[in-house]
Amino acid sequence: MRSIPGWHGRIEMTLSPLMQIENLSVDAATERGTAHLLRHVTLDIARARILGVVGESGSGKSTLASCLLRLLPSNVTRVEGRLIFDGVDLMTLDADTMNAYRGRRIAMIFQDPMTALNPLFTIGTHLVDVQRRRDSGIDRELALATAEAMLTTVGVPDARLRLGAYPHQLSGGMRQRVMIAMALLVEPDLLLADEPTTALDATIEAQIVQLFEELRQRFSGSIVLISHHLGLVAELCDDLCVMYGGTVVETGPVADVVADPRHPYTKALLACEIDPDGDGPLLSIKGDVPDPVNEGGQCVFAPRCGHVIAGCLSGQPPLRAIGEVRQAACIRALETLP
Amino acid sequence: MTGQPLIAMTGISVVYPGGVRALDDVTLEIARGSVVGLVGESGSGKTTCCRVLTNLVEPTSGTVMIDGAPLAEIVGRGDLGFRRRIQMLLQDAVASLSPRLAVSTLVEEPLRIHGEPLTEGRSRITELFRRLGLPADIGSKYPHQISGGQARRVAIARALVLRPEVIIADEPTAGLDVSVQGDLLNLLQELRKEFALTFLIVSHNLSVVRRITERTVVMYLGQIIEEAPTSQLFAAPAHPYTAALLSTNPSLDPRKRQARIVLKGEIPSVVNPPSGCRFHTRCAHVRERCRTDVPQLRLAGEGRQVRCHFPLAGIT
Amino acid sequence: MNVLRATWKILTQVARSFGGGLGLIIVLTVLCSAAFAPLIATHDPDRIDVLHRFAAPTLEHIMGTDHLGRDMFSRLVHGSTVAMTVALCAILFALMSGTILGILAAFLSTRAERPILVLFDVISSFPSLVLALAIVGVFGASTSLVIIVVGITLLPHFGRVARAQVLTLKHAPFLEAERLLGASTMRIIFVHLLPNIAGPLVVLASMDIPLVITIEAGLSFLGLGVRPPLASWGTLIQDGYQFLSQSAVPVTVASVALGIATLGFTLFGEALRDAVDPRLARAH
Repeated sequence: MRSIPGWHGRIEMTLSPLMQIENLSVDAATERGTAHLLRHVTLDIARARILGVVGESGSGKSTLASCLLRLLPSNVTRVEGRLIFDGVDLMTLDADTMNAYRGRRIAMIFQDPMTALNPLFTIGTHLVDVQRRRDSGIDRELALATAEAMLTTVGVPDARLRLGAYPHQLSGGMRQRVMIAMALLVEPDLLLADEPTTALDATIEAQIVQLFEELRQRFSGSIVLISHHLGLVAELCDDLCVMYGGTVVETGPVADVVADPRHPYTKALLACEIDPDGDGPLLSIKGDVPDPVNEGGQCVFAPRCGHVIAGCLSGQPPLRAIGEVRQAACIRALETLP
Repeated sequence: MTGQPLIAMTGISVVYPGGVRALDDVTLEIARGSVVGLVGESGSGKTTCCRVLTNLVEPTSGTVMIDGAPLAEIVGRGDLGFRRRIQMLLQDAVASLSPRLAVSTLVEEPLRIHGEPLTEGRSRITELFRRLGLPADIGSKYPHQISGGQARRVAIARALVLRPEVIIADEPTAGLDVSVQGDLLNLLQELRKEFALTFLIVSHNLSVVRRITERTVVMYLGQIIEEAPTSQLFAAPAHPYTAALLSTNPSLDPRKRQARIVLKGEIPSVVNPPSGCRFHTRCAHVRERCRTDVPQLRLAGEGRQVRCHFPLAGIT
Repeated sequence: MNVLRATWKILTQVARSFGGGLGLIIVLTVLCSAAFAPLIATHDPDRIDVLHRFAAPTLEHIMGTDHLGRDMFSRLVHGSTVAMTVALCAILFALMSGTILGILAAFLSTRAERPILVLFDVISSFPSLVLALAIVGVFGASTSLVIIVVGITLLPHFGRVARAQVLTLKHAPFLEAERLLGASTMRIIFVHLLPNIAGPLVVLASMDIPLVITIEAGLSFLGLGVRPPLASWGTLIQDGYQFLSQSAVPVTVASVALGIATLGFTLFGEALRDAVDPRLARAH
């Protein structure tokens, strides 16, 4: 295998998580009142693993991604909690330092690459600029050569030609590859991917999924994959984090969670996935997704849960450990529910 | 298939100005009461297919027959009756509701358009709302005040109030959360029985197509490349493209996970489709003949058709 | 009912800002005085009282009198009727014909819409004053001519906005959905399209009102507008201007009234635009 220029082949021996999200709460002002986008989110992002974050609309998964980059919408009124990244609380950093983190240690891949690519600059310029963020004195020719090698690595054919192309001249799949190349050139410790394949056609999505699978052989950092697609997360990720109504309801290794979900929401969500071989009516979760304006006071899932007991109505249960590596935010997580 | 098909498209081609061949020689029959799934990626022509069936696009060549009568003649007579018979659910349900009209007005619109008595229609609407699980007070609300799931149900009510025979559903679950899509699909299946509907379901969600359709039609670059009973198609796809497409559907169950067939290259442009077999640029089984000879849709077993020189299954 | 509620909601939003509130008060005052001129005027606006010409403001004549001793306040109030009649009629004419032509252009093919767009260009490139001079030269001065001239001048404003609005909505899913139900083109235009393009057009109309008031005043000032003795703000300024050496009161009163009314309608129009479409507010 060819080595990627400037690639750090460091193997992290420390067991401390790369990022620890502690008690993160985010409120935003809306027309109807204060919306609680995130409520006391606590989550570890392990080193050199892929974490899948799944949730439905309003679950807070996209807010969480913007929070990790500290890029929050302008209507946010309150952010509380700690974001400890490699020992440093990102919340305490000033804007310039945070900018440096964003450019060098944390990179993001968006659902629509067009929003992240400047239509006036060529692909080559984008890829050179990304490298200049790390090393402002880098020679343009050298940077272009590195960029070309990286484009080839992420499967862009005729890489040299594409360096001179503008974003609109590329297809959606190619743009997403360029975004991935940009993210990799940053050599980040943490790569955030927000629905990276949702806008793509099925056969193109398969190509990108394959690229991610290849990446994990070469990429020593951590990846957070945000998706509404449980099947995709189950195939690609090591760990799973299920979000609902702005809270984390369950975390753990993907295979374990899928095989034996401990939170009723996770269980219900898995049951909603269409089993192609099954027959009879399809399953769904009755009721509506929680209203972020709602103050709470009970478990967020209680209104739609079939296993509510009195204790569920007295407050949102915190995440509790189930075994060594799993957690669930349900007071009945250890019981065997029908 | 016995008797006359409810819908028959024969040799339909649609060429847009600028040389875009959105549909190329599409022949498709839909039997009364059947549920047909239409799958394909962008540029495959599945949307154009729906637009031809609903007369939003006039085919450049070929004929559409509805119950044995040519659509072009029906439209030529100025007869809007066929609109009652074929209804379509658009992909973006919220955007398909006129934003300045209240839900009650929106649902009565079809009756007004076709000059049906409102008093009798209103009782039908009340019954439909109840059947679709819509709250009684929804009539006074405006499209931006209702949820995505409710908007979809209102759109269904608008389609059903005319008592159609055929419903074309364009991506009926797109944009819906997993936790509510099952409800909608169950509803469509129940409505099918109650109202004796024929369904054409366009979807990129292969699990949906597999679960609720009887026949599946696969399109690629404006052509039908495979058509078969759904169970057979999913069990043993005959066209290499179908095989690749089906393998992309991720499964939660590791035991059911199949090796993903990753196609090389991008979807070619419909403006300048590849010579010979349109799929030859991406096909793993490509041979010399595929580059030059255009394959025809041919029988591949009982009720199956495939457009491939060297199909993977079905032909013995 | 729904239209009333929506109008009320928008007006309260207009009144929320200082400029909008002030504009709304001025607009309502001008509209009231225009509608109820005979009740509000303290004197007959045409009654000549040569003994009291150029009277300074007194309790009897709160804004003084002009060179023929006519009560300035009453003439202003009656002048507002003329101004509003001309403004509203001209705008209505421009709004309706412009919208029809704009919608037509948007629905026609690129080649068929060209004559309409050329017409818009011709009208906007033609100086309205020269057009007015030409028409008055042929037909003579009259109020209805002023309305028609101003209406034609403003027509392209509305035509272009209507066309642009329709073009953005033409392929909207909700119009397609109506077509799928079998709705006729006329039904689609009147029931579904018009309500959705009306907002920007109404805003444009309200912002064009001060323009019409000044055009009408200008034409009347030049003697090309409404015929004396009908009191128009333009003729009031013209009369005052002629006798400026004898008294500055009439010209000042009339000019200030014109200025305040123009300002009021402009403020109101801007606040209305912001209330109807907040995105436009930021763009300006």
